[in-house]
Amino acid sequence: MAVATGGTRSLAAQERRFAFALLAPALLALLLVTTAPLVYLAWNSLNRIDLGMPWMSGFAGLDNYAKMGADPRFWNSLWLTLIYTASTVVLQVVVGLSLALLVLQIPKGQGVLRVGAILPIVLAPVVVGLFWRTLVLAPDVGLVDVATRALGLGSHNWLGDPQLALISVIAIHTWQWTPFAFLVLLATLSTLPGDIFEAARLDRAGAWQRFRYITLPMIRPAIVMVVIMRMMTALSAFAAIFAVTGGGPGSSTEILNLYAYRTSFTELNIGYGSSLAMVLLGITLAVSWLMFRLRKAKS
Amino acid sequence: MTSRNSTLRRGALWLVALALLTVWAFPVLWGLLTSFKSERDVLAYPPKVFFTPTLDNYREVMFGGASILPNLWSSMVLSASTTLLTMLFAVPAAYALARLRYPGKRASGFYVLATQMLPPVGLIIPFYLVLQKIGGLDSYSGLTAIYLTFSLPFAVWLMVSYFEDIPYEMEEAALLDRAGRLRTLWYVILPQVRGGMAVTTIFVFLNAWNEFLFAVVLGGSKVRPVTVAMYNFISLEQTQWARLAAGAMLAMAPVILIGLFAQRHIVKGLTVGAVKGGGRR
Repeated sequence: MAVATGGTRSLAAQERRFAFALLAPALLALLLVTTAPLVYLAWNSLNRIDLGMPWMSGFAGLDNYAKMGADPRFWNSLWLTLIYTASTVVLQVVVGLSLALLVLQIPKGQGVLRVGAILPIVLAPVVVGLFWRTLVLAPDVGLVDVATRALGLGSHNWLGDPQLALISVIAIHTWQWTPFAFLVLLATLSTLPGDIFEAARLDRAGAWQRFRYITLPMIRPAIVMVVIMRMMTALSAFAAIFAVTGGGPGSSTEILNLYAYRTSFTELNIGYGSSLAMVLLGITLAVSWLMFRLRKAKS
Repeated sequence: MTSRNSTLRRGALWLVALALLTVWAFPVLWGLLTSFKSERDVLAYPPKVFFTPTLDNYREVMFGGASILPNLWSSMVLSASTTLLTMLFAVPAAYALARLRYPGKRASGFYVLATQMLPPVGLIIPFYLVLQKIGGLDSYSGLTAIYLTFSLPFAVWLMVSYFEDIPYEMEEAALLDRAGRLRTLWYVILPQVRGGMAVTTIFVFLNAWNEFLFAVVLGGSKVRPVTVAMYNFISLEQTQWARLAAGAMLAMAPVILIGLFAQRHIVKGLTVGAVKGGGRR
């Protein structure tokens, strides 16, 4: 008996040692490439670091954070981040879900549609941005401009006008990532058991009622997950906007992410850039915490 | 009456589906078309669908003054090293997280998940400062290190969901045979998750190939992946769109091909990530 318990205990110890050995490389790597840099970032955000004027560098306390309050460009970028994230995520989920519900009713040929939907997802955002900037949105020869001219709506400077530029970058992001929501929701929808809908139909539940009271609750976890993942992508969107407008004209498409980048690497104000990145980090963590709480509460 | 209605309905559905496909595939197809045009045909109004195709653009971007071939090589080296290193770290860690009992399991899982949420711009500033100090800018090792920040947490979580799908009995039977833990993992478990490893490899490779922000800041004249080369191209040669299109086609050919051939795997990977949690893209 005593031998047996000793055996299980040593087995458990062996399992523990094995687990640590397997985990150690990955955890050490993550510690080195994510956590250590973050600590350094937090420290930098408390310093004045100006690569253009290195002699001015030094500890600055919370100066960088205090500076934000009176910085209109910061508030503008925060506002744009909110608009950009909210509109792209809502558009992706609504369009993606509608299309998935629609395509679900096509018995054959879903495969072709899936291949078509994969295309935008696998492209590099920077290349997507370049494509749109030249072939799609360029005045006179871009596809969209050709279309609006043919429809009699006239030619527009899609990326030169502040409002149109914002709409354009939102459209580009939505174009590239809606297929993601579409594919995930289509896959989730096709796993739902058919008989429950049949029963509802026999109970004379209408299409909207079936959707509202059966489909939606069943796919809620997938929707929440899609929303979380799409929000993360939107909050750290960079390459496509950078390639299309560079944050401009002026700062009309400069979301917080781009503002932090421009401050650090264009204006070489690393200290202030670090504090802006810290704010973005805070927002990202708060959002993901909130969403996970929501997910747990619902499931 | 009903059958005519359903035919109509099916027709309408197909029309919508076709419109959908067009919207998503069109920019890529239009880019492909443009890459065979002369610069003059690109700027024609109305746009030309029929024209005399030319291979000049491809010849120019491959063998001309600003050849894209070194950039393709850069992307290849960088993506391959990132993928290899990521899988080497992620697969064992994912197995431990999915299957083994040890203290601090929840905390370690949460830690990996949290590292996935970090905004890239927050990581690039400290990386830039440190690499600048130790002379690591414009090097494959520096960029591979920062690529781990997005590929490693993602790969761990994707692999965890595949390990969780294996029945416990297989492992127990192997362990009872005194096969040893490492041997069990290698000969019994890993063959079971071959599909999952393929999916994860594909995703990590795609994400590394498409990365731009880290490469544009930390790269240079030696390490310049295709994404950065494309961006530089348009800022230098603003109006040479046919050439840009040809370059973009070459730059994106690997990911488009992977996307088309591994379509099923990609959809599965997206879904697994979405249903079980984890995954940024």
